Amino acid sequence: MQSNRLGWILLAPTLVILFFFGVVPFFYVLWLSFHQWNPFAVDPNIIYNGADNFRALVFDQGFLSSLGVTIAFVFFAVLSEVILGYFLAQAFMKEFPGKAIFRTVHTLPLIMAPIIVGSIWKLMTTPSIGIIPTVLDDWFGYDLNIGTSALAAFTVTVIMDIWHWTPLVTLTLIAALASLPADPFEQAQIDGANKRQIFWHITLPMIAPALLATVFIRLMDALRTVDEVLMLTGGGPGSATRYLGVHIFKEVFPKTNYGYGSAVSIIVLYLTIVACWLLYAALIAPRNKKA
Amino acid sequence: MTRTDPQDIETPINLHEQEEESRQSPIDRKEHQGFLPIQTNWFDRLFISVVIWVALCLFWLRFLEPAGLSLNIAQVIAVILAVIIVWKG
Repeated sequence: MQSNRLGWILLAPTLVILFFFGVVPFFYVLWLSFHQWNPFAVDPNIIYNGADNFRALVFDQGFLSSLGVTIAFVFFAVLSEVILGYFLAQAFMKEFPGKAIFRTVHTLPLIMAPIIVGSIWKLMTTPSIGIIPTVLDDWFGYDLNIGTSALAAFTVTVIMDIWHWTPLVTLTLIAALASLPADPFEQAQIDGANKRQIFWHITLPMIAPALLATVFIRLMDALRTVDEVLMLTGGGPGSATRYLGVHIFKEVFPKTNYGYGSAVSIIVLYLTIVACWLLYAALIAPRNKKA
Repeated sequence: MTRTDPQDIETPINLHEQEEESRQSPIDRKEHQGFLPIQTNWFDRLFISVVIWVALCLFWLRFLEPAGLSLNIAQVIAVILAVIIVWKG
């Protein structure tokens, strides 16, 4: 009983912070999503409008196209990061000359603020002065212009996200791989298992919890990408890179449409939770049931 | 060790059983298997109900309300579904 009370006392600061910075803002945004509020309009009052924001949202072509490009962005970015991160983690598990330097350099993007990453990539991809369009033009005769080509803009945002966040996946998977016991691998090698069999039947099941946790983190981050993309493309050309985070930003700040922005935010949160829960239910729950 | 019957030499010994038992939470989560394809406790089923409730309302707003069906019908269906899922899911 005494240790229980001590536990609650030690937890209290975290719970208080979580309450004021997590729970209260959530319920405030939820409450606001059922209201119309534009503080700079003729009528700046908060007016209850029932489900009107959600009614507008399901017919909003801007939101629906944002949802589509966001799903594509998340799929390509997270999948590439996980695959690339795994191979890099495997590479870092081996000894090679310059490993420490390479690992430090590889981790550098992770410590950069997203707005800086967006600025760097904007400088690198600006036509006529950026290094990437210049090299692509000189070597392959390809004219890269993210200001006019929707596909190029989308691809560059995906590559930028991969460049920024793959180190996170690598670091997590290095920790997971380093903690694996050697015995099952030795036994599998004695039994004559090849590399593919060892990967599918030993490595992957053993690192699955760490892998899934990483996918959750990246999924949540990718679904709310704003600053990098806003800096690089501003959501354009057209709505090619107007991801949900950018859409919310444009609704809330330039238009000061706080009620509608809150409704979109709630739906994004809903989609994030559902996506993570489906992944959990599909991959982890059956394993627990089997155990 | 799970081999209770000494004659039962065909039953494989589960070496990890003790480890699995020790990993189980001391809190009784009262998980059960209903018609849902996964084992759930009451909070999981409440969560699933809320997820379905939101999805149903959004679907209703997009496709059925323009045809003249009130959103209140969706709310009633969602509540009935929630009760069934929490009770029998």
